[in-house]
Amino acid sequence: MPKVEYEGQTFNVDEDGFIDDFNNWNKDWVRHVKQVEGIEELTEEHWKVIEVLQDYYKKNGIAPMVRILSKVTGFKLKYIYELFPSGPGKGACKMAGLPKPTGCV
Amino acid sequence: MGEPAEINEIKDKGLEIGAERLTEDKIEKTINSVLKGETGARLKAYVDTCIHCGLCSEACHYYLSRDNDPHFSPVGKVKQTIWEMLKKKGKVSPEFIKKASEIASTECNLCRRCAMYCPFGIDIAYMMLIVRRICHMLGVTPLYIQDTAHSHSVTMNQMWVKGDEWPDTLQWQEEEAQAEIPTLRIPLEKEGADVMYSVIGPEPKFQAQLIYQAAVIMNVAGIDWTMPASSGWDNSDMAMYTGDNEIMGRVKRAHFETAARLKVKKIVMGECGHAFRSVYDVGNRWLGWRIPPVEVVHAIEFYHDILKEGRIKISKKFETPVTLHDPCNIVRGRGLHEMSRYVTREMCEELIEMHPNREHNYCCCAGGGVINCGPPYKNKRIMSNRVKAEQLFAAKAKGAKVLIAPCHNCHSGLEDINHHYGLGLEIKFLMDILYEVMDKPE
Repeated sequence: MPKVEYEGQTFNVDEDGFIDDFNNWNKDWVRHVKQVEGIEELTEEHWKVIEVLQDYYKKNGIAPMVRILSKVTGFKLKYIYELFPSGPGKGACKMAGLPKPTGCV
Repeated sequence: MGEPAEINEIKDKGLEIGAERLTEDKIEKTINSVLKGETGARLKAYVDTCIHCGLCSEACHYYLSRDNDPHFSPVGKVKQTIWEMLKKKGKVSPEFIKKASEIASTECNLCRRCAMYCPFGIDIAYMMLIVRRICHMLGVTPLYIQDTAHSHSVTMNQMWVKGDEWPDTLQWQEEEAQAEIPTLRIPLEKEGADVMYSVIGPEPKFQAQLIYQAAVIMNVAGIDWTMPASSGWDNSDMAMYTGDNEIMGRVKRAHFETAARLKVKKIVMGECGHAFRSVYDVGNRWLGWRIPPVEVVHAIEFYHDILKEGRIKISKKFETPVTLHDPCNIVRGRGLHEMSRYVTREMCEELIEMHPNREHNYCCCAGGGVINCGPPYKNKRIMSNRVKAEQLFAAKAKGAKVLIAPCHNCHSGLEDINHHYGLGLEIKFLMDILYEVMDKPE
């Protein structure tokens, strides 16, 4: 399994760069993904999306629909894509420590 | 061909656990029951006709990208899988099945380019599908795509979208689009409408902007259209690619029956390739329909028609030079390449052709369910498509800055190629550009 290093910490990742295990997620991982995804600044809104994704994932075992993400955070679809340019299924799930969603993505 | 192509460290629980459960007796029985019960003259004709000339090799992006390694030639993949099964009359090991599943599911996109270069037109994709069918019957399939097939089985859509989440998403996008066009509607369950619009799972799940854009196009073009409020809305079918033909048939039947229930004249589907193959070729035939029971119109044909009829006017053509990728299931499989060029030229100032193109285009290396096998195979997918990167670099050198990919899997696969090889192209669906350049009411 490939590894990435960020500020002295080592994370195991899959070939798409998603973390190997949700339980290994921490705030340094978020900063690592920020860099990989080319996100300029981490804002409170990013953290809100991460929190909602993690909460849903813990309860349901999959990532939520972007509709649910929008409903719970109050962010419009366009704004979610502004926060995470590669989209909720790729950038946001990766940052929140979820596995890569299955399907045509 | 005795040695493996490479030291393979890919770990896939679907293959590992599946193979652990096998016995040689079960393998033999299953292979022979599929060969006897489901193949018949077609497979026999292909196997007996092949003269091992190897002309298919040069057609394959895997072979070309992997320095002409014969293991990655189409005939090499046949030799490592179905021929061995035939030769040994099904007496192969669990380890062999594991490797055969990996080859058939992740080293062939079923793109059928090789069939055009075979002097006899042998359809090697069909043989790879038979291998996948056998592996499915043995329960040895890659984990990620199997999850997608499970989702189809449970929900009739590929991304575990639940019953209430679907209409909620449509109404949400209707509301967002009404901020732009106040009279816009996404009519649900409208019996007798001309068109039922169907999409694939990722659109409601993550890419709801595509539903928004489609709604704008339908409304501006004045189409009498509808979308179903319950299952049957997803036209995709990954079960077709895991070899689970029973689920494939159920999913296809649900899609057609939904159109029949709504009494629509035709189905218009979004920019997807494999879903198109599943309705015009594979799924319909499995269900006993030589042609689809309800007319299915691909997005490319639909855009072509509404532009030609003047239902959509272009306010200002897209200025950035574009190049156009020809997806296998839409072009090699169904011949829509001149229509996609008409649409592109109507919308864009400049189309720079990549070479080869049309039915000779190189595959994205994502389709055929390969990208759906997930992260364990991403590097293999990218390393196996260096020729695509070279083809795109050449188009870029002629000035192309935007790459149009009118298929979801091509889109995602080409994103990976774009990123890894540092192409720096912007990838768009036809619909992204149409939405941007069309005349919209003030």
